[in-house]
Amino acid sequence: MRIEHWWFTAPLRLRSMLRRGRLEQELDEELQFHLEHKIEEGIAAGLSPKDARNRAMRAMGGLEQRKEEIRDTRRIHWLTDFLDDVRYALRSLRRTPAFTAFVAITLAVGIGMTSTTFSMVDGLIFRPYPVPHPRGVVSLVSTSHDNAFDAFSYREYLDIRYHTTRYQGVIANAPLAAVGFSADPASTPRVRGGMMVSGNYFQVLGVEPRLGRVFRADEDRVPGRDAVVVLGPEFWKQEFSSDPSVAGKTIRLNGKEFTVIGVAPDTFPGMQIFGHPDFYMPLAMASVFSTNPQKNFFEDRDARDLEVKARLKPDTTLQQARSELAVLAQRFEREYPQLNRNRGAAVHTQFEMQTRNDAGGGPWKFIVIFAILALAVLLVACTNVAGLLLSRARTRTREIAVRLAIGAGRFRLVRLLLTESLILACLGGLGGLAVGYAGISFLSTFRIPSELPVTVPFRMDARVLLACLALSLLSALLCGLAPALQSTRADLLIALKAADVDVPGRKRLWGRNLLVIAQVSTSLMLLTASFLMVRGFNRSLVEGTGFAKDHLLMVRFDPRLVQYNAAQSQQFYKLLAERVRAVSGVQASALTQNPPLGLDNFDGLAFVPGGFQLPRDRENFTSTMDTIDEGYFETMGIAVLRGRAFFASDTALSPRVAVVNEQFAKHYWPGADPIGKHIRLDHRAGTPVEIVGVAQTIKYRSTTERPRDFIYLPLAQHPIPRMVLLLRSYGDPQQLVKSVKDVVRTLDPNLPMLQTRSYEELYRYNAVEGPGVAIELVGTMGAVGLLLAIAGLYGLVAYNVSRRTREIGIRMALGAGPADVLRLVLGKGLALVGMGTVIGLAMGFAVERLLNSMLFNIGGVDVLAYVVVVPSLFVAAMLAAYVPARRASRIAPILALRHD
Amino acid sequence: MFAQPEKFPLLTEGSPRILISDTDMSKPNDLVQGTLDLLLLKILALEPLHGWAITLRLKSVSGDVLQVSEGSLYPALHKLEQEGWITAEWKQTENNRRAKFYSLTRLGKRHLVSEVANWERLSSAISRVIQTSEV
Repeated sequence: MRIEHWWFTAPLRLRSMLRRGRLEQELDEELQFHLEHKIEEGIAAGLSPKDARNRAMRAMGGLEQRKEEIRDTRRIHWLTDFLDDVRYALRSLRRTPAFTAFVAITLAVGIGMTSTTFSMVDGLIFRPYPVPHPRGVVSLVSTSHDNAFDAFSYREYLDIRYHTTRYQGVIANAPLAAVGFSADPASTPRVRGGMMVSGNYFQVLGVEPRLGRVFRADEDRVPGRDAVVVLGPEFWKQEFSSDPSVAGKTIRLNGKEFTVIGVAPDTFPGMQIFGHPDFYMPLAMASVFSTNPQKNFFEDRDARDLEVKARLKPDTTLQQARSELAVLAQRFEREYPQLNRNRGAAVHTQFEMQTRNDAGGGPWKFIVIFAILALAVLLVACTNVAGLLLSRARTRTREIAVRLAIGAGRFRLVRLLLTESLILACLGGLGGLAVGYAGISFLSTFRIPSELPVTVPFRMDARVLLACLALSLLSALLCGLAPALQSTRADLLIALKAADVDVPGRKRLWGRNLLVIAQVSTSLMLLTASFLMVRGFNRSLVEGTGFAKDHLLMVRFDPRLVQYNAAQSQQFYKLLAERVRAVSGVQASALTQNPPLGLDNFDGLAFVPGGFQLPRDRENFTSTMDTIDEGYFETMGIAVLRGRAFFASDTALSPRVAVVNEQFAKHYWPGADPIGKHIRLDHRAGTPVEIVGVAQTIKYRSTTERPRDFIYLPLAQHPIPRMVLLLRSYGDPQQLVKSVKDVVRTLDPNLPMLQTRSYEELYRYNAVEGPGVAIELVGTMGAVGLLLAIAGLYGLVAYNVSRRTREIGIRMALGAGPADVLRLVLGKGLALVGMGTVIGLAMGFAVERLLNSMLFNIGGVDVLAYVVVVPSLFVAAMLAAYVPARRASRIAPILALRHD
Repeated sequence: MFAQPEKFPLLTEGSPRILISDTDMSKPNDLVQGTLDLLLLKILALEPLHGWAITLRLKSVSGDVLQVSEGSLYPALHKLEQEGWITAEWKQTENNRRAKFYSLTRLGKRHLVSEVANWERLSSAISRVIQTSEV
């Protein structure tokens, strides 16, 4: 019934919308036809033509009313009215192009900034996994004292996979890792990003291959058996030029031959935010890719390398999954007390994973701060526009009053005015799209010089467009509603009498005063925030990193790319270190697993400190660590405060030694000499390691970090396949590149030199420019906010002056001097700015606390920030008020009195 | 949009009305709302007509008792058209003038059947009440 009904009526509605003129004409003709008959009937009955006509019209009861009634039956009057409003609003906006442009630009800046930050927030937090039914995919994490988001080992993963019932499937992947790729045996391997995944990875996620097939479930059963690889869509396009016959080809990964079996679809670039895998390998091939030679991937239950995800069964709640996994974790604890004591497990949604509160959680907090600041800018923009609209509406008081007087409903007028602000907001939204697009492109141009390409997850997509639209509508309401409501409340009698009348009463003025106060305080807050960020960051740069950054060349090696085993790798590094030291121009050389302030995370080391009372519920502590050789401290210029650095005599056969940093020593042995103390690796009965030295605490991961515990282990006793060679040069470090190449060629001509660059370059990108982008963004917001606030204040005072022209004229006629007038007008502005400043200060303090707790390790109040920001804002605001006030003081009384 | 068969809302101010002739014109004797729709549908069910012809037809069929207020006729027709119950077509009249002829649609025919049933229920209920009071 319903559908059939629409079948008949939809074409009618459409006709009503599109053929309005034609319909009107037909309606006219139809009624005319009727009237003529009626008149003829009257004449036939003996009336005069005039009387007959009158009778006919009377019977109809008002032709126009009938027409209106009939138009209403078309049920589209809301639309036609709206179109009329749009036409009218466009006309009136065209009459004031400067006003329109200013408002549109103001809103464009606000909306653009907000949509830029929305794309960031979306990319980091909200964008769902690129798989069908992404909501069903949850993350399973291991939890311990030191890491609430730990990974699982292969053994643990298998237990979870086969002993849980709440999931359609449980999948695992190793972190995206650098893999040496060559299309044929002859070519030198290049580094690409590969990810090991469980055999059921694609099926459980619901990803169908674009080409060939994905892994079979049995392809991760037998270690080392199935050398097959699935290509990522982008990699397939770049490297194989979208070759449709790629399946069945053989490629080499880390020197081993793999058969390509398929290509992932374009819709599935990968589950990670920052990196897209170039290819996927089965977990069973771990021996080819494993990064940690100390542990056996397939056997050791504490080789926790795997990120585990699962797809919930349709009728299963998160709670059920959680309690099931908790039971399993307890079983692990019972069965493997050595490895799993006090270790739990948790199930998290995607959102919970993206907003987690640890180092791996990414920069989402930063982004959320941005979003809040951007919203503040939008708010300032909206209040500004609201103020302007209010002023504009006042000049139209008479027009509105006339409309009200001839019977327009208030709601109808509010709608008209809202349509106007809607059009302005749409213009602003369009401009905002451009601004947002520019912002996102700006963010995307920032390239991180990492080994694997980092994908910037910020983009202008349908979700951002939608957000932009929503923001436009919201700002239309925000800046349009209050003025519309207020200006249609005018007292008809008074308003009709004068063009621009100020209805007495404090209430009306309060609205606008509040706008100015809000603007001043918000922009003060923004400025404070950006100033604090700049200062905090610069201070951290001035404080220094604790080591010498200049004259350093770095080259990364990964001998696994050419199929070296652990012993061969160690031999290679030994020879490499010896030979580069002999190169002329080399002042010092060192090997390290990760240079500080680099792109890779440091490994964690689990240990039990000797003589330290371990809390009852703790099995061990963890600390970040680095593996270095004996030249490290000298090359990096890091002071060894007590004891010694590593020596060449610290070999695999000698007693195990470690160097800790000052912070570590203070943490575990406060007041005592750490030299000679022991730590045991992993647990109470683990290998003892003697502390032989204390190094100065430096900045390890970011220049703004708090001092952190750190342990150094010697390479000879803690062999690592991937190392970075650091060379301190006398001159330009780049000049050493050729010599290093020569040395490497004598050792193995096939071994690629990765990430060859001066350390300063890395530092600049990673520690200075990256945060710099963030600070620029906030600074821009603060500056834009200030500009908007100044414009708003200027507009308000100027408007007030024009409104009070007559009053000022009277005052001057009665003997007030220009100075009195200046004081009168300025005093009001001053009071508002003062109030805004006080509120802004309070908000600034709040932001400072927030920033300190989130980003910087500084405590207390940064007085200088306020000493700089508050007066400059104050001066700017005063200038904005002074210009119109001065104009007021020069009003000629006679002109002012005539002013309408 | 769809009349509920159980209820017959009474006429309210300004709604379409049918006048019953030969009564005091200053106090129009209004009929129950919805009746006009019913009458229009019924008349158009017989043959397609234009507005003027409808007023004439209604008067003659009802023996001059019922007369549509002309002010109400056209809004009512347009409403029925928008509901999809009747459809309009411009045709020549017998006097060779262009007029808008309304005719019943399939949907309208079905609606008429149910409206007639409703009317019969209502009128028989009213007569029963009236007869009860006379006994």
